[in-house]
Amino acid sequence: MISNLAVGIGLRQPHYGEVFERRPALGFLEVHSENFFLDGGASMHVLERARAAYPVSLHGVGLSLGSVDALAERHLAKLQRLVERIEPDLVSEHLSWGGVGGRHFNDLLPLPATREALELMSARVDRVQSVLKRPILIENVSAYVAYGASEMSEFALLAELARRTGCGLLLDLNNLYVNAVNLGLDPLAALNELTPAMIGEMHLAGHTGTDAGLVDTHGTRVCADVWSLYETACRQLGPHPTLIEWDTDLPALDVLLDEADIAASVAARSELADA
Amino acid sequence: MPDLLACEHDIASALGDARESARAARWLAGDAALNERRLAIYRANAAAATTKALSAAYPVIEQVLGPSAFAILAREHQRLAPSTSGDLNELGAALADVVAAHEMGQSLPYLADLARLEWAAHRAYGAADALPFDARAIAQLPAQQQSTIRFVWAAGTALVASRFPIVRIWRIHQAGFDGEFSVDWSTGEVALIAREGLRVAVHAVDGGDAAFIAASLAGEPVGAAAEQALANDAGFDLGRLLTWLITTNVICGYTSEWEP
Repeated sequence: MISNLAVGIGLRQPHYGEVFERRPALGFLEVHSENFFLDGGASMHVLERARAAYPVSLHGVGLSLGSVDALAERHLAKLQRLVERIEPDLVSEHLSWGGVGGRHFNDLLPLPATREALELMSARVDRVQSVLKRPILIENVSAYVAYGASEMSEFALLAELARRTGCGLLLDLNNLYVNAVNLGLDPLAALNELTPAMIGEMHLAGHTGTDAGLVDTHGTRVCADVWSLYETACRQLGPHPTLIEWDTDLPALDVLLDEADIAASVAARSELADA
Repeated sequence: MPDLLACEHDIASALGDARESARAARWLAGDAALNERRLAIYRANAAAATTKALSAAYPVIEQVLGPSAFAILAREHQRLAPSTSGDLNELGAALADVVAAHEMGQSLPYLADLARLEWAAHRAYGAADALPFDARAIAQLPAQQQSTIRFVWAAGTALVASRFPIVRIWRIHQAGFDGEFSVDWSTGEVALIAREGLRVAVHAVDGGDAAFIAASLAGEPVGAAAEQALANDAGFDLGRLLTWLITTNVICGYTSEWEP
């Protein structure tokens, strides 16, 4: 069981050696599930070492739950095998689709927030939870476009999904912020849709400004506005296991650990304010 | 009632081909010109995901071509063999064929075989760990039975034959290689790709060894595989080959259906 004050980092290949050598005091490590859809070998060996030393979170990016194509049962079977092998503390996926008609874009594409999408996602999350025999967390994604057909907010859909399926939510504050800026949404209204019991994890990451809007690159430090949103979320929804997520232009491990320290102090402060 | 099926198909068409952008536009809210630039972010993400996955599987091809030519090859792969799985470990099986059909593969004709070697190494990297094998049991079998056994090979073991020196080319592009960079282009090589512990090893094997390994990997009993090796190379030395492959655990067991 990961403490609500736990802060973790994404474990990425260039840091493997240093993490095991230094064993930094971290609440958990998170990896992309698909990177370990392997039968054996050096990567699996690393993940098993990580599991022996830290709680582990398996974060899926390829299940494409919201695709109208049939659910990728072979992908789900690989995830099930990995979950059985690693016995992670957390398993998560996204409110998104990755492709249709057999084609995969290997991206987290946003869904229109419609009742039809809610029905589809509910059925898919039910199926995944019954195969994995455990609740999963579903994350809000960054979006560069909005759908005219949406009938509710993304967070109203997520909250209803959690009520229907018993899944938890992975609240990504950077995605929330990126969407607020790109699509002109109110991030505080989004938080108001949620209850503390729904949240199983939070993500913090950096984005990159472009002339077409903010792009969710996971390649920079967390910006001041996202820290402030994180603090608000911690006060309003309580602290929850929090991840520093960094995927491109990976910096020295110490930069991630520094970000993790900041998150830990924000989370601790929110708890004190609560008491 | 909004139709998710039509929506996803339209968005996918627009992401696959910018000329189809109008199909996405009818589903999107907000400024059309801005939406078009935002769709381009998704197209770039998909292209980057393909390039990154291929780069992980084909580090030597990427070094040989350089990053910009490799990115062009990745676009060609995306066009001819687009990703069909959320598991990017599976992306890239078609690269050798994509290379062979492209002018890059025509001007550098060894590239396709080098790609086959790298794909085999990529598969071997994540293959199941071989269990330890005590080969002394084989020596204790009756002589007639010994020739009937079939070897179990470590998962991921593969042979790639080429009329080019692909093992040599592969080797001089490995990190930390500090030998001579010369390549003897007059000779072809057969690459044996196999997991040795957690490491993926690539060896050049000669004609007799290659014939034995190919036959044994295909399920032939030891005796028949050795006959094929001897037909290929009268000097074939089974004992030397087996000592090497058993010591490295590339041969990791055997099965026997022999009944006296």
